[in-house]
Amino acid sequence: MIPSQMLKGTLEGCILKVICYNETYGYEISQALQKYGFQDISEGTIYPLLLRLEKNGLVTTQSRESPLGPKRKYFKITPLGESTLESFFSNWKELENAVNQLFQSGGQKHE
Amino acid sequence: MNKQTRELNRMNNDLDKLLYLENNPAMTDIICYLRGANISEYNQEIIRQDLLEMVLSAQERNENIETVIGTDYKTFCDEIIATFPPKSLKEKMIGFFDAISLGLSVFCAINIILSNETFVLIHNLIVGEPLNFEIDVTAGLIVSLLIAFIAAFGIVNFIMKKSFEIGSLFHNNTSAILIVLGSISIFLVIGWFGRNTIFTVNIFIALFFSFALYLTHRLLSRI
Repeated sequence: MIPSQMLKGTLEGCILKVICYNETYGYEISQALQKYGFQDISEGTIYPLLLRLEKNGLVTTQSRESPLGPKRKYFKITPLGESTLESFFSNWKELENAVNQLFQSGGQKHE
Repeated sequence: MNKQTRELNRMNNDLDKLLYLENNPAMTDIICYLRGANISEYNQEIIRQDLLEMVLSAQERNENIETVIGTDYKTFCDEIIATFPPKSLKEKMIGFFDAISLGLSVFCAINIILSNETFVLIHNLIVGEPLNFEIDVTAGLIVSLLIAFIAAFGIVNFIMKKSFEIGSLFHNNTSAILIVLGSISIFLVIGWFGRNTIFTVNIFIALFFSFALYLTHRLLSRI
């Protein structure tokens, strides 16, 4: 299981990635994340993050009728969200590269 | 509560009835905590609607509220609250004066109905004796009013802020009954020792005052 401290800062980008494919709702996003290996990510975990994404204008929402009682909120990525997603991924690659460098070739003592 | 918020509140109340019994206490604690948060009533209802959608959908999948939200409700709520703008000074002032107007209106109405003078007035009206329309306003009444207001604000705020810690206390009927009986006893003691009349007021003026305060509350709650 990925520690929650490690997830912080990356989960928003990952949610954006899931939303960028098509309009989707909370439970579906949590299921998609679980499918990709983000264990124990429930709808409740991502709900505050979705609210933040909406507040920052990275996604828009639309309520639609649901077969299960109340209306369901669907999320759609905005152009700002798309550019934020691009910059998230390039930042992630940079971080990944730095961590890999450290662990693969820089694991020895400093000279 | 403006029209839009009232409508959302009504819809959420209807959805609330669909919750299974096992999910009710946790949902009540969460909503109680959100009510005490420094965010507008409209945003509180928006969050409530989203949470109800989550929990009702979970029920359909034979899951419970813990599966969806986890067990740390306070952190969950704090994260949600942080995403909404805080109440403006205007909203806070309207909320404060709305609560004062309603509270004072109800307090006046109860005291008019339950006062000795009202009973004497009704009795005299029936038997045809001279009518006295004056009601005594005693020191005990004024002290009770002040204590009731301060206690009400204090208790409500405390319950809202600590809903997750003390929620179980209020899910237990015996504790709630003891708290209510204890509060009534305090007011009876104050009422008994504070019987000195400070001033008298005409019953119709008192009724008009109570009604005007109620109208003020209705007006403020619609802004």
